[in-house]
Amino acid sequence: MRLLACILGLFLATLTHAEEVVSAKQLLNNMATAVHNRNFDASFVVLKGKGMEPYRWVHAKHNNKELELLSLLNGAGLEIVRVDDLVTYYEPQSTPYSVRTDSIAGPIPEILFKDSQALLEHYDFVLGGKGRIAGRPAQLVRVESKDDSKYNYWLWIDTQSSLLLKAAYVTQQGELLEQLQLTHISVTPEPAEQLLELTQREFPTPLPALELSKDETAQSNWQIGWLPEGFKLLKSDRHKLDLNNELADYYLFSDGLVDVSVFVQRPLPGQRPSGALSSGATTVYVHNSGAFDVSVVGNIPAITAKSIAESVKRPL
Amino acid sequence: MTKQNLTTSPQEAASRLLDGDLQLEQSSCSQIDQEKFARYAQIGDVMRQTQTGGISIDITASVAQALENEPCHSVAGDDNSADIEQVSDTKVIKLSAWRKPLSQVAIAASVALVAVLGVNTMPQQNSPAIDEMPILQSRPLAGGVAPVSFSSEQPALQQAEQGIRDLQQQRIGALVLEHQRQSRVAYALQQKDKAEREQSEEKK
Repeated sequence: MRLLACILGLFLATLTHAEEVVSAKQLLNNMATAVHNRNFDASFVVLKGKGMEPYRWVHAKHNNKELELLSLLNGAGLEIVRVDDLVTYYEPQSTPYSVRTDSIAGPIPEILFKDSQALLEHYDFVLGGKGRIAGRPAQLVRVESKDDSKYNYWLWIDTQSSLLLKAAYVTQQGELLEQLQLTHISVTPEPAEQLLELTQREFPTPLPALELSKDETAQSNWQIGWLPEGFKLLKSDRHKLDLNNELADYYLFSDGLVDVSVFVQRPLPGQRPSGALSSGATTVYVHNSGAFDVSVVGNIPAITAKSIAESVKRPL
Repeated sequence: MTKQNLTTSPQEAASRLLDGDLQLEQSSCSQIDQEKFARYAQIGDVMRQTQTGGISIDITASVAQALENEPCHSVAGDDNSADIEQVSDTKVIKLSAWRKPLSQVAIAASVALVAVLGVNTMPQQNSPAIDEMPILQSRPLAGGVAPVSFSSEQPALQQAEQGIRDLQQQRIGALVLEHQRQSRVAYALQQKDKAEREQSEEKK
């Protein structure tokens, strides 16, 4: 009898666990659908350590076409416009350019609005508590890394409209590093005027079809000995950086949720110690290995960035 | 004498005119280059100012050179974005046709980034994990919008150190910007990678 109860208990436990996973997944799916189908006008702020960036985010679906606008409201500004699968970036000091992709690369990892299921290999989806965010009832969904080398990402989703209300990068210790918080959102039946104007606008011709440019020479120049579980090489080449015209061997890695850039460059003059800088969840680790400098940039813990940077070696 | 005047160079004419050697009349006016004349007048002002201070070194050449190298001291009395415009030169573009005012507050992206990073480099006392990490020495920028190349009167050694630090900050700014830009195509690349892999699996 006791055995039976035990088995039954175990069965129930796994059942509820399974149910939980499904509903966390379901919530993320609902959010993705809502974000792509609703007409909304939202404002949010991103808190990075002591800094703060306010954004406006407007989305509409009009005649089966998605229109989206994300603009940074402080400083020089940044404006990203999406009409279906054409994303155009307007930045100060550089000519606007377009990319053929179906989501805006903003402060929220775009995969969460797409096929978040792809993350299940390296992240767990866990349901958290309920709360009130931006005046609406919200449900917490935690996207938790399966190992300690990455941050977790938490999302608070509106239980009624399924729209995102708050998101944060959280350390394994539970400290909120970078928070994104909606301050206002209005969902309307009709698309905003401002977005309808977009259909009349002309955009730059998109960059030539993206290639998985894994430049052989750049790849054989350096060996990157260690990467956290799940990171794949997306791009590698040698190019000049825009701002200071420095040449760098460049590698772009991603695990789906976060992107990591690795730069190998000529060392700067002078004795400089290796070290990390961080702003919110973004870490810049500069490693001075004598004959060359390795810099790692990405939303990863400083210790992970350090391990990646120190694993870069000349091939034997 | 007058004939000789006609053959002299405009510089000389301007110089003599300023010295009071030459009468200001139509013939002398036609000889001088307006721009140069204005510059000479400015040099004269500068010299007279230094002379009240008691120093009498000939700085004409250096002042002239400095003035030539000076990028954008327009007469209209530009705002403080002068230094920044020097960096961005030809690259300033309109943000978008329907948001014109935004482009006017353009600051160099490097500056903004470095400022953000600079402010956030204080070691965090209550997180031991980060305490173990070496934190880069970085100069926090007050106000946030000081030009990257800002330099004041400092001893040479300090200035050199400052130069290296600036170089490093510039590099970090460039790296962060590059990372931001590259990660914009990351998702598209990932989708493509996935599609290609699925295709090759189908072939097998």
